Amino acid sequence: MKKMTLISLIAFGSLSMIGTASASDAVCGLDNGLLATGESIKVGGIYGNAAPGDFSAATDAAGAYFKCVNENGGIHGRPIEYMVENDQWNPELAAQAAAKLVDDEAVVAMVGNSSFVEMSVNAPMYAENGIMAMASGCAVSECFESSNIVSTNQGPLSSSVGAAIYAIEELGATNISCIGMAIPSVGNWSCGAVQSYMESKGLNASFVLLNPAAPDVNSALLEAMASGADSMLVNLPAGLGIAFLNAAEEQGIADAYSWTSSTPLYDASVPKALGSYWSGKLFISAELTTIDGAGPDNQNWLKVMDAYANADDPRDTFAQSGYLSAKYFVKTMNQMAPEKVNDRAAVTEAIQGINGYTSDLMCGPYYVGKADRHMPNHAGMIVEVRDEAFHVVRDCFEYDGPYFQPILEAEKALGLR
Amino acid sequence: MVKRTLTLLMLAALLLGVCSFLGWGKPPKVVGLFVVSGMAVGSLYALGGIGLVVLYRATGVLNLSNGAIGALGVMVAWQLQQWQIPETATWIIGIAVTTLMALTYGRLIAPGLAWRDPVVKAVATLGFALIVLGITAFAWEDDIRKFSLPSDKIAYTLLELRITLTRVIVVLSALVIVIAVWFYLSKTRTGLNMRALADNRDISALIGIPIVKTETIAWGISGLIAGFTGLMFGDLVRLEPFVITFMVIPAISAAICGQLRNLGAVLIAGLCIGIIESMMTLSPVLKSVRPMAPFVIAILVLMWVQRGRTNYFAGN
Amino acid sequence: MLALLVFIFIPVLAGGQWVKIFISTGCFILAAAGVAFMYARLGMVSLGQIALMGIGGWVMLRMNHAFDLPFEINLAVAGAVTLVFGWLLAMPALKMRGLYLALITLMAAGGLEVIFSTFRFPNGGEGFWGVMPSVADPFRRPTLASSDADYLRYIILAIVVGFLIIELHMRTAPGRAWAMIRRSEAAAYASGVNVVYYKAWAFGLAGFLAGISGGLLAGGLGLLDPATFRASESIMLFALMIVGGSRGWLGVLIAAALYRIVPALFNDWGIDADISLIIFGAALLHAIITAPNGLSGQLIDLFSKESKRT
Repeated sequence: MKKMTLISLIAFGSLSMIGTASASDAVCGLDNGLLATGESIKVGGIYGNAAPGDFSAATDAAGAYFKCVNENGGIHGRPIEYMVENDQWNPELAAQAAAKLVDDEAVVAMVGNSSFVEMSVNAPMYAENGIMAMASGCAVSECFESSNIVSTNQGPLSSSVGAAIYAIEELGATNISCIGMAIPSVGNWSCGAVQSYMESKGLNASFVLLNPAAPDVNSALLEAMASGADSMLVNLPAGLGIAFLNAAEEQGIADAYSWTSSTPLYDASVPKALGSYWSGKLFISAELTTIDGAGPDNQNWLKVMDAYANADDPRDTFAQSGYLSAKYFVKTMNQMAPEKVNDRAAVTEAIQGINGYTSDLMCGPYYVGKADRHMPNHAGMIVEVRDEAFHVVRDCFEYDGPYFQPILEAEKALGLR
Repeated sequence: MVKRTLTLLMLAALLLGVCSFLGWGKPPKVVGLFVVSGMAVGSLYALGGIGLVVLYRATGVLNLSNGAIGALGVMVAWQLQQWQIPETATWIIGIAVTTLMALTYGRLIAPGLAWRDPVVKAVATLGFALIVLGITAFAWEDDIRKFSLPSDKIAYTLLELRITLTRVIVVLSALVIVIAVWFYLSKTRTGLNMRALADNRDISALIGIPIVKTETIAWGISGLIAGFTGLMFGDLVRLEPFVITFMVIPAISAAICGQLRNLGAVLIAGLCIGIIESMMTLSPVLKSVRPMAPFVIAILVLMWVQRGRTNYFAGN
Repeated sequence: MLALLVFIFIPVLAGGQWVKIFISTGCFILAAAGVAFMYARLGMVSLGQIALMGIGGWVMLRMNHAFDLPFEINLAVAGAVTLVFGWLLAMPALKMRGLYLALITLMAAGGLEVIFSTFRFPNGGEGFWGVMPSVADPFRRPTLASSDADYLRYIILAIVVGFLIIELHMRTAPGRAWAMIRRSEAAAYASGVNVVYYKAWAFGLAGFLAGISGGLLAGGLGLLDPATFRASESIMLFALMIVGGSRGWLGVLIAAALYRIVPALFNDWGIDADISLIIFGAALLHAIITAPNGLSGQLIDLFSKESKRT
């Protein structure tokens, strides 16, 4: 749709008016209104945009924020040169992009990464080169269980556990069927965590896995129905998730079960695609604050997007996540000694030292630390699909369960608890 | 005839065997649910396969771009619906766009490849598929969309499973297409021309069959079917061009089971594949590899069909 | 000569990104060589080559994470296992040719695609499938070639060896048998050629090359992703082989370059992935229509005309 809008805008000749940076009241970096000059600091980012999905929202938002920073004092007065690469969901292109950014261009850090193919391919490479990736769109376990990647978003595991908690506490679920993708590091990993959470509470859960390319979602639905569950947790990418809910609508079983979903369905187009049938019946776990959240940081994000991003760049959870990663990166860099900002090892050290950053975009504090796994974002909110829109039904709450135990221990050690 | 019946019998035996193996010990109600659900999916394979075979029989081209042009058609229809154009008009325009794409290829590109290896002809359509997929994906950037037909709202209950009218339409239309094409090929002049053309293009040309006209009609018909299939896939599978484009690969397996010739067999094979795929859900071991069903069945059928042949005189 | 020059200079001159691009191109040259010789020498079409590569890559990773053996032994096992799979594929294929053969290999590729995407590639986890939900364990490259540049040299060497193996086959008994089979299987049989044996041999050789190239690709990245081995990619490789020209090594080089270098270039120039799909499709169609002998055929014709004129 993005491009269609663009094309029609060009047709009406009104493009020149949109997207020009004006003296907006967005707050970025040092916020001194001075244009950054001198030798630039190179920062990289990798996103995926090809059929079947466009995940460029995070790098778009990070880019917008960096542009704003460059007009507001940069990093100790020096501009950021943000270099983004598209991996087109191709593992080889992902490795090539990382080689270009990390080896050839010698970027000091990666910010806003949002391709899940890239994460699993490049995680060892980042560790080897001692570079940190402040990602914004982790979706596979490799991304969270890696020493050199830290993501602002929650990913399928946290988000599904959050949905399960809501299903138990508010919808009275005692037996959940988690419908995930048949990929070990996605479906089995996240639905497995839901299952162990349910078992830790003395309840039941099972999971049904769907092959990503399968045309048939009906038999997965039947399998979930046969499992004896009283609650369904849809943990699928948006397109497949909609197909699954369509099949459920066809069977007319929305009222026979309670329905929750992980974050992918928290997308502006979803309520309309689902239609009136699902109104008031589906509860979705949101990873960050809602798009229209009233908090100052969320409002600032919207201002940055309006002033520095293209009019057609999406304003979604990934864009929030990209903004937040970029913001924390700039904050960290500005706290470093000015002569060190071009030294990758020093930058990595500084990022690893991030502790207790807060924002109204995220429910909990953000931190990095030196660890084999990073999952700072494990508290979220729940929204309901009603009347073709989202409505918050539960504000920020912490997730718990066996998977989060070691993370909570680590937070204690960092003095966050 | 005897051989064909034998093949069908063997397919039926395979179906029964697999189903009773998978469904053993399960309540008949559950088995019934999965069988009906499988037929719903199988009819999609069948429809895709029929579209491929109709064109292959007439022109010798296995059109891998069927899915891509169908996807373009359904996206156009969806877009028009967003612009508040009456639904019936959007379907007609969607199918018209698809037909136009098929005709474009059939008139402009296919004749240049007429004398090439059938595999090369098939591979060339992949090039066309990429172009169409690229255009579609560029025009409609990745987003969540839903294409629905009024028939989605009407449902019937069969063996305790609710079946929407859309799914009934898919099965019935597959059947209608099979009968109509059979009638067309065997009872009309152009149908006869098509059969001649498919058998031997050179000789057909020599005896004065209007090749261009006949082929254009064949491409047009196949475009119509592809457009209709696209609308159905957009509604019943997912409104994602990438997914619809590559649905053509499992559809080939249904076409293979009909030996790229026999439309009735394609229909039955498509349904059988769907049922077996759906029944595989009942097996804890096999359920994760369910989508393999079309491919494995196609290979088994091909090997069965070729069983009488010696290893020395390979043929088509 | 050319190989020697490439061997010395490319790894030195190219940056990190281009070394990676050439590494994956190199792997696909070997795979394409397998498809090309099957098509040119026997008229047999394989639309399953990339899926076979996936098997090679899977075995390579499995060996690497299970045992502490050197790279070359793992590679040999990967090649051997894929060779066996090539034979398996040959069994039904022996009775068919043309489109049916192509389709049966495509069906096999479709089935393997499902297996790869369901079970993924080993990354150091437990059990037979060896997948763990965490960052992959390190991959051991050959001791002589642990850096990217050296690894590229290693691959170039492997390509030369691969081409030599094919050439050797052409000039000895199998080559003569294949030529006869291509003409007429009945005639070949009548003149005492063991048709089954030599056809299976050809499948085995193509499978072996696919296995080696899959193993080398695994070494290039240290891990593999199922997206690389989709059934549609196998069709694509065959299509590009037709574009490049199936006779001779030049066509194979062109095919692999189109398959890996051109998309990387487009991506590097920032061309939208959808637009590059359109360009790619159009170029593919154009080349198939206008160059029946492939681009390499056109190039060779061009050069021979030039040399006649002077």
